[in-house]
Amino acid sequence: MANDRLRALEDVEKEIAMVLQCAGNIVLELSKDKHNASFLDRQLIQFQNSVSRVENELSAQIRYLTQVATGQPHEGSTYSARKDCQMALNRAEYAKVKLGELGRTCEVMLEQQQQQT
Amino acid sequence: MTTQRVLPQSKETLLQNYNKRLKDDIRSIMDNFTEIIKTAKIEDETQVSRPTQAEQDHYEMHVRAANIVRAGESLMKLVSDLKQFLILNDFPSVNDAISLQNQQLRSLQEECDKKLMSLRDEIAIDLYELEEEYYSSSYSQWDSTDLPLCEAYRRRDSWASANSSNSSTHGEREDVDGPPSQETNPQHHLNGHGTASVEKP
Repeated sequence: MANDRLRALEDVEKEIAMVLQCAGNIVLELSKDKHNASFLDRQLIQFQNSVSRVENELSAQIRYLTQVATGQPHEGSTYSARKDCQMALNRAEYAKVKLGELGRTCEVMLEQQQQQT
Repeated sequence: MTTQRVLPQSKETLLQNYNKRLKDDIRSIMDNFTEIIKTAKIEDETQVSRPTQAEQDHYEMHVRAANIVRAGESLMKLVSDLKQFLILNDFPSVNDAISLQNQQLRSLQEECDKKLMSLRDEIAIDLYELEEEYYSSSYSQWDSTDLPLCEAYRRRDSWASANSSNSSTHGEREDVDGPPSQETNPQHHLNGHGTASVEKP
């Protein structure tokens, strides 16, 4: 849910860039001797749509935050679960180390046996 | 009480500020762009000569274009502030993210522990057989106080069956134990590691 809202805000940033680009294209086209009317129309429509999309989306986000925000800090954390998981991984690592030592000891014993025979 | 009243006001003020910034920036973009388009219209020469008028229009367009870019930058800053506010104050999504993360970490921990338990069970089975083989061979060096795992399990099973039939007589329990003369304080090393290798006569 949080990722959706953040992604929506990133899309808004792209729309703002699109607004400025459309405005620049329109002014560039008007600076030419011969204007391409259809291009101008398309750019103008895109400019207006982008501006209205930016305004609507940001208004919606501000409205949502007005309903949801409390002003208090959030005190939740994932520390305990993360610590438990870290301890489990440490247990697994320790078991791996001990089994490695056992394996090496067995190999040494076998080599000694082979050398004796 | 006074403190509590301050916090919601600052949150309300902040959000109203965001709204105001949004409206001002959008209005600035639209107004300046409209004025640029109007200024681009070629008019008949008035009191001011054409080159002067052109220079004035050129300067005005520069300023208005700069205003449009400034408004765009201000909108980007607003979006950044909204993202920050959302991350810090959107409690439903923060709660969801925390519970999802906790769930993932717990499932990883349970999987890890489950695999360690199964590994432990497999190694215990192999260790039982290895000890049985080792302590029944001629290579082993152990005394009666140093019980291997398999022997300890066998004796524990025999004690359990003896206890269930003779629950009232405590003296018989000592007879069921190994050689009583050597075990005033029995210290069984159940893991098979003895402190001293004393051979029984």
